[in-house]
Amino acid sequence: MRKITLFLLSSLLFSMTIYAGGYQVRLQGNKQNGMGLVGTSLNMGSSSIFYNPGALSLMKDKLHFELGASGIMSNVDFQRAGSNENYQTDNPMSTPFYVYGAGKINDMIAVGVGVYTPYGSTSKWEDDWTGKLLIQNIALKAIFVQPTISFNFNEKFGIGAGFILAMGDVEINKALNYSGDANANLKGSTTSYGFNIGAFYKASEKLAFGVDYRSEIMMKMKDGDATFTVPTALQTTIPKDNKFDAELPLPANLDFSISYQATEQLLLAFELDWVMWGTYKSLDFTFKEQGALLNSTNPREYKDTFIPRIGAQYSLNDQFQLRAGMYYDQSPTNEKYFTPETVSLNTFAYTLGLSYSPIEKLSIDVSFLQLFGQTAEKEYTPSNFKGTYQTIVYIPGIGVSFKF
Amino acid sequence: MKIRYLFYLALLAFIVSCKPEVNEFTPSNGSADFKTYVALGNSLTAGYADGALYKSGQSYSWANILGQQLTTVGGQPFVQPVVTSEFGVLPGKRKLGFSVDCLGVTSLGPVLDNGELDPWSNHIDYTVNNLGVPGAKVAHLLAPGYGNAANLQAGLANPYFVKFAASPDISVVAQAMSMSPTFFSLWIGNNDVLGYATSGGAGDVITPTEQFGQYYNMLAQTLVTGGAKGVLANIPSITNAAFFTTIPSDVIDIPDSPEGQGYLAILNGEHGYAPYNAFMESKGLPYRITFSIGPNQMVIQDPAMASYGLPAQLQIRQMVEGELALLTLPQDSIKCATWGSAVPVPNQYILTQAEIDNINAATIAFNNIIKQTAVDNGLAFVDFNAIMVDISANGLIFDGITFSTKFVTGNLFSLDGIHLTPQGNAVVTNYFIDAINAQYTAQIPKVSVANYPPIVFP
Repeated sequence: MRKITLFLLSSLLFSMTIYAGGYQVRLQGNKQNGMGLVGTSLNMGSSSIFYNPGALSLMKDKLHFELGASGIMSNVDFQRAGSNENYQTDNPMSTPFYVYGAGKINDMIAVGVGVYTPYGSTSKWEDDWTGKLLIQNIALKAIFVQPTISFNFNEKFGIGAGFILAMGDVEINKALNYSGDANANLKGSTTSYGFNIGAFYKASEKLAFGVDYRSEIMMKMKDGDATFTVPTALQTTIPKDNKFDAELPLPANLDFSISYQATEQLLLAFELDWVMWGTYKSLDFTFKEQGALLNSTNPREYKDTFIPRIGAQYSLNDQFQLRAGMYYDQSPTNEKYFTPETVSLNTFAYTLGLSYSPIEKLSIDVSFLQLFGQTAEKEYTPSNFKGTYQTIVYIPGIGVSFKF
Repeated sequence: MKIRYLFYLALLAFIVSCKPEVNEFTPSNGSADFKTYVALGNSLTAGYADGALYKSGQSYSWANILGQQLTTVGGQPFVQPVVTSEFGVLPGKRKLGFSVDCLGVTSLGPVLDNGELDPWSNHIDYTVNNLGVPGAKVAHLLAPGYGNAANLQAGLANPYFVKFAASPDISVVAQAMSMSPTFFSLWIGNNDVLGYATSGGAGDVITPTEQFGQYYNMLAQTLVTGGAKGVLANIPSITNAAFFTTIPSDVIDIPDSPEGQGYLAILNGEHGYAPYNAFMESKGLPYRITFSIGPNQMVIQDPAMASYGLPAQLQIRQMVEGELALLTLPQDSIKCATWGSAVPVPNQYILTQAEIDNINAATIAFNNIIKQTAVDNGLAFVDFNAIMVDISANGLIFDGITFSTKFVTGNLFSLDGIHLTPQGNAVVTNYFIDAINAQYTAQIPKVSVANYPPIVFP
C-alpha cells in the first residue's frame, strides 16, 4: 500500500497547472483550502509553517503533522480575435502537495519543517495551435523546503521564521516559423533561497490577527539545455544543442488576516494578500551560441495584486467541520503583454471543505474549489497575438492531519 | 468513511464539470450576398508562387482562402481550376536548395525543383470560381478568345486561361458573368506595369492610362450589372517587392588586396574607363565611371543615353543610388564574367531611375482609377499599395511571425520574389476580409496566419 501511494505521489506530484494569479499556487493546507485559502490568522497546526510561522509556537498540540495534495483540473478556451476559431488547452491534471511536521520544544518554542509547492504552471496547447510560435506547452515547477522556528512571548503573541530552500525547474516548448516541426525546447533547473516570517496575535479568545511575509525568490537558470529542431539547411545557423540562461521571479507575498470566533461553532476569517508581481518585468533568454540571433527579451510587466479572501468554518460536532469561502484574484498581467503561456484572468473562486475526525488524533480534510476566469479579450502586442480567453478550474483536495 | 467522501467529492466534480467556452464571434454576411463568389485577377489571384502555378501553391491562393472563409457566411464551395502537378504548369517551380557557383562556393538559394509538369491535354470542364489568370492585364479579362488554343501562336491567348475557359471564344469576364455572381473580387492591373518592370523596362510597355481607365471601368461595370457586390484591390508598390530589392546596385566589391589593386588599375586606366571619362568630359556630359576599393556601383547599359547621340557602345554608365537590379541578374556573371565592372550589365536586368519614375507614375494613375471605381460603385477596397509601403518600411508581425519585404527571410514573398508565400497569402486574405467586413458590415472570420506554411527549407 505504501509503495503504491509513493508511486502515485511521485508520478503526480511534479506538475502544476495554470491557476488564477500568475503562476502562484496557494493550496498549502486542505483546511485552509476550504476557507477561501485564508490561513494567516488561523492556527490549524503544522500548516502554519507556510501560512504563518508566528502561529506555530501557539499551536495546541505538542506534535502535529499534515500531508495532503490537490488535483488541479483546468481548461482554457481561446478564440482568435475576429474569428470563430477556438482552441483549447489539454492540460494534464496537476497535483500540488504539502507535508508538514512540527513540535513544541517547550511552551515558548516550536520547530518544524514543511515541504510544499507554492508556484507552478502547466499549460499544454496543441502542438500546431494558432499560438504555437508563442508557446506550445510550458511546465514550471517549484518545490520549497522550509525548516522553521517559532517563538512566543506569551500565550497571545508569537513570531516565527523559516528558511526556504527552493528547487525549481521549467520546460518550455515553442514552435519556430520554419518548415516541418521546427521547435525550440528549453529545459532548466535551479536552486534558490528565501525566507518566510510571520507574527500571530491572539487578542482575545475570539479574535486573532496574523501577518506573514514570504520573500521573493529569483529562480536563476544557468546553462539550461536548449534543443532546436530546425531544417537541415539551417542547422549551421541554429545549432541543435545550445545552452541558455534565464530568470523567473517567484514574487514576495505580504498577507494580513483577521479571524473571529463568532459563536462556539462558527469561525469567520478575512484576509488580504498582497502579491508583489510587479517584480516580473520581462522573461529574457540568453543563449551561449548564436546569441545575437537567438537571444530574446519578452516583456511581461506584471503589476502587484491584492487578493481579498473570506472563509468560514462551522463545527457540527466533535467529528465534523464544514467550511466554505470565496476570493477574488486579480490578474497581475499587463494589458499589452498577456501571453497564452500563463493564462491568468481575473478570477472569482468559491471553496468548500469538510473535516472528519474518526478519532481525536486524526483528521481527514477534504476541499473543493471552483475557479472562474472572467472572459476577456487579451493581447500580446510584441507578437500581435490577440483573442478572447476563458478558464474554468476545478480543484478537489484531500489531506490528513495527526496530532499527539 | 474516507472512501465515501472521496466518492462524494468525485460526484460533485462530475456534476459541476463543464468546459469553458468563448463565443464572441458570430459570422454574418451583413449587407452582401456571398452565395456565388468569383475571383478575377492575375497570378496573385490564381495562387502562382515560387515561379510557377503548382498544386499546393494554388491551394493557398488568397482567393481560395477567402472562398473557404465565405462558406461560413453563406458562400457555396469555392472551386479552383486544379493543377495536378506539384511541379507546376509551364515553367517548373523553384525550391530552396544548395547550388555551387562559378567560384566553387556552395550556397542556399532558389533552385529549380524537379517533377513532371501538369499535362496540357487535361482541359478543365467543371465550373470554377477562381478565374485568376497568370499574366493577365486589364484588357485581357475583356478579350474574347483569350482562352482559345488557336490564338496561342499569335500571342492573343493565355495558356492558363486556355486550360479552363468554358468555351474557346469566351472572355474571362463573360465566363464570370455566366455564373451570375453575387460577389466578386477584382485584383487586376499589376501586369499593366509589372511586365515592364520585370523586364527592366525592355520587354514590355506600360498600358496607357486612358486605355487602362476605359478597360477597368468596363470590367467593373460588367461585374456589377447583376447587382453583385464586390471588392477591388489596387496595385502594390511593386518596386518594393523582393524581386527588385534583393541585389544591391553596388554589388561590385573590390578587395583591398594585390589582385584588387591590380584590377582597380585596369578599370580606371587607359585600357579601362579613362578614355570613356575623357570622351564624356569633352562632350560636356556628366557621366563618369570610376572604381575604388570596396563596394562600387555596377556599370550598366542605358539605351536612354542614345538621346545624346552616343553610339551603342557608349550608352553605358554606372548605376546611381536608388536604381534597381533585378533578381534575374545572373550572379555568376557578376562574380566570374566581370559583369558590372568590365562588362556593362544588359538593360533587361536593371531599372533605371527614369524607368522607376515611369512605373511609379503609372501605378499612381492606375490606382487613382481603381480607387475611384470602388467609390463610384460602393465597392469594398483594399489599398495594397499603402500596405506594401508600410511593410517595406516597418515590417509586420502577425501571430508571432515577422514579415518584411526581404527575400526568403521576409516570409512574405515566395522564391520568385514577386508572388506570395502561403503565410503571405493568409495575411493578404485578412486584409480583404477587413475591407469587405467594413464595407458591408459583415463578419467574415479572419484566418490564422500561423496555420499556413512558411518557406520550405531543405
